[in-house]
Amino acid sequence: MKISRNWLQAFFDTPLPDATALSDALTFHVFEIDGIEKHKTEKSDFSVDGEDDILDVKVTANRGHDCLSYWGIAKEISAILNIPLNASGHPKPYDPKEIQEVSVSIDSPLCNRFIAGLIHGVKVGPSPAWLVERLEAMGQRSINNVVDASNYVMFNLGQPSHAFDAGKITQKDGKWMIQVRTAKPDEKILALDEKEYTLNDSMIVIADAHTDAAIGIAGVKGGTPASITESTTDIIIECANFNGVSVRKTAQALKLRSDASARFEQGLAPELAAYGMRAVVDLIVKVAGGEIVGFTDMYPTKQEIRPVSVTLEKVNKTLGTTLAVADISDVFTRLGLTFELKGATFLVTPPFERLDLIIPEDLIEEIGRSIGYDKVSAVELPPFTGSIEINKNFYWSEKIRESLISQGFYEVFTSVFSKEVGTRMIANKIDGIRPYLRQSLTPGITEAFKKNLSQMDFLGLQEIKMFEIGYVWTQNKSERLAFICIRGGNGKVGDYESLRDRIKDQITTLLATATAKGITIETTTLQGTHKFAIAYGLLPENEDDYTQLSTSYYDDLPTSSATRYAPFSRYPYIVRDIAFWTTLDHIQKIQSDALYFSEIFKNEAGELLLKSTLFDKFEKGEKTSLAFRLIFQSFERTLTDEEINPLMQKVSTALTEKGFEIR
Amino acid sequence: MPERGHIHPISSLIREANRIFFDMGFTYAEGPLLESEWYNFDALNVPKDHPARDMQDTFFIKDEPGMVLRTHTTNVSIRYMEEQMKKGILPPYRSIAMSKVFRNEATDMTHEAEFFQVDGCVVGEDITMAHLKGTLTTFFTKLLGTTEIRFRPSFFPFTEPSVEIDMRLVGDDAPEKLRGRWIEMMGAGMIHPDVLKNAGVDPTKYQGFAFGGGLDRIALLRWGIDDVRHMHSADLRFINQF
Repeated sequence: MKISRNWLQAFFDTPLPDATALSDALTFHVFEIDGIEKHKTEKSDFSVDGEDDILDVKVTANRGHDCLSYWGIAKEISAILNIPLNASGHPKPYDPKEIQEVSVSIDSPLCNRFIAGLIHGVKVGPSPAWLVERLEAMGQRSINNVVDASNYVMFNLGQPSHAFDAGKITQKDGKWMIQVRTAKPDEKILALDEKEYTLNDSMIVIADAHTDAAIGIAGVKGGTPASITESTTDIIIECANFNGVSVRKTAQALKLRSDASARFEQGLAPELAAYGMRAVVDLIVKVAGGEIVGFTDMYPTKQEIRPVSVTLEKVNKTLGTTLAVADISDVFTRLGLTFELKGATFLVTPPFERLDLIIPEDLIEEIGRSIGYDKVSAVELPPFTGSIEINKNFYWSEKIRESLISQGFYEVFTSVFSKEVGTRMIANKIDGIRPYLRQSLTPGITEAFKKNLSQMDFLGLQEIKMFEIGYVWTQNKSERLAFICIRGGNGKVGDYESLRDRIKDQITTLLATATAKGITIETTTLQGTHKFAIAYGLLPENEDDYTQLSTSYYDDLPTSSATRYAPFSRYPYIVRDIAFWTTLDHIQKIQSDALYFSEIFKNEAGELLLKSTLFDKFEKGEKTSLAFRLIFQSFERTLTDEEINPLMQKVSTALTEKGFEIR
Repeated sequence: MPERGHIHPISSLIREANRIFFDMGFTYAEGPLLESEWYNFDALNVPKDHPARDMQDTFFIKDEPGMVLRTHTTNVSIRYMEEQMKKGILPPYRSIAMSKVFRNEATDMTHEAEFFQVDGCVVGEDITMAHLKGTLTTFFTKLLGTTEIRFRPSFFPFTEPSVEIDMRLVGDDAPEKLRGRWIEMMGAGMIHPDVLKNAGVDPTKYQGFAFGGGLDRIALLRWGIDDVRHMHSADLRFINQF
């Protein structure tokens, strides 16, 4: 939730620290801050310098019911910084004054409370500057003084309310009748956003009982039939409590998430409605005039408040701290939690709005975050007294992995999502592509193999050898750990097959003792432009299918020795070969052909030259022929022959000048 | 002998992390990727229709109601505890899971729909949040160099209290870019009593902590990898660097 520092200040007489200090206080004691933005305002009582800071507070899902509000955040700041709240920090419920003019009937279990307040003689018009300013800080535009007052109270206390034009609701015998009821199938309502919504019987509406017409979608949005306009004089204010799940589902189904629904869906405290009502009617009278006539409050089941207890011992035993009774008393006092202390047991009665305090651990969290988790020291675990089991899937996959890497294979992961039809399909894939769960590792690795073929020069490889160990969902719908290796390239398929078969034999031998059931390794060959050979198998389905291991350790296998990764260009590269004659005399003078010539290439071809490799060398009499492969690539663009030709010309010229004869 | 090939950075990380955790008494544990909503959500104290369920965008399976691609490896932790109890083995427990998880979201340089998580779980009679701090300090120090750990308050339905884990490298050998900088690494907390109960463990007698975080993220940080999508690209220009 967006929190304006200037607005927050209204809860305190003491000046608040700057936005960064507020951000730190919240971050280390309650909520993350997603950002702080500067906000220009008019110079006013709230902002002498015309500046404000807006903190984006990431209220966690367990505190949405009380902290999607200035009040909630102010209480936290008060506890964390130990500065008292002023009168605004102690809101009051409305003064009960029952009236006969408005009757309310709740005909849905999804409404826990409905208070209707009647105000006569308001003058709808623009809001005062301070109110406009505060709503602007929330990114809201001002509508009129009555609607603005309702929105203001929602942000300030976290209780949504709604104002209806009483003149547009039917009055019979001097009485209005408001009904909270289930929507009818296909019931339509024109909401305040000027859109028509079609409802269904899982939703609830506020209706004019005399006409049975819906005037609002409960907890989500008001309707246009009873909307506030400049001619409105009498208003009925709704301050209610609706079932969070129902509001959430309704807002989702209608694709109409409002600030009100975002709060109701957290599941608000029914008690809060009375405080919201007080605040909203007081503010309306202040900014729009009029006179409060009275209230009708339907509150079938009063909110139950259950005390929670925790012992000093349990607190310290959970947090790993050595707190004293006084430390905990201080935390509860600062947080405004009333408690009784019996010995070292705290019996806490949570305030009505703290719906999250249910079990002792909830109180322990309050204590931990309040004292600060920096007070929790780092302690090593004691030696383990149980037995460590060796996971057989992992044990054997590590064996296969190591065997293949030692044979020069590269380990890859491909996606479990496949376009090949499988036995299982994702019902709601966001990108819509590759909707199946793979049934085999073969299609994925084959695709990856083909993609990598074009990089063989870049990689300096004569053939491609890859493997994957990963999960598949087989024909009979079981989830299995599978392994696959592929080798191939531009050479002779027979060679790949024979090498593949050797690997297959090795893995078979390796896994011979793994399971009594035996492991089948299937082989595939592809002849065509690209030739490859594949070996593919599944590890046992169940832990029980493995034979008992004779070891209680994993092998001590090498990990990657890489220190830092170097990004590579995503643009294609260009390959050029150059061959030339050199003399024995020359070769004896230099330490390494590759090093000597790569310097020349680098100097002449410049930074577009990615690398050069010596790929052929033969002697003929006194002379030796060297052939180098030069790879050009850019991080910014696709290179063209026109760019590379002059560079190769420069390389040739330089070699000729140094006395090497280009072949 | 042919020249040695290359290990995937995630496999290398898992191998190394498992060694560190093994030395601290952790058993490498596994659980299904295609999981029931019970183990992925309900047993972990994430009730149906609760906003917390929206925190993770979930892949559902066509014609198999109640089945999801797991959104975290925490399913392994609860299954591990439950299996031990069913075998009649009482705590202490220490388990570590390192495997693939899924989120139904658009992919970019830092987000993937399939990625890897590490999830640890320690249960005993006297396990505290101080042990959580100690365990993660040891783990990150052995993996990345001298590390400090700090907690920030957070919320996860399956832990209470819940914290975010930040770490920073403080050793002289730490890369300059990272030295002293706090980085958000994991979520953790004391296992919620309801979760212990759901696993059949008596929460009045036993307590413990759980932690979980992205392995891809650790890999990105450790090696300075620029794009998480390399992990499943099967691009040998990436793999040949490890």
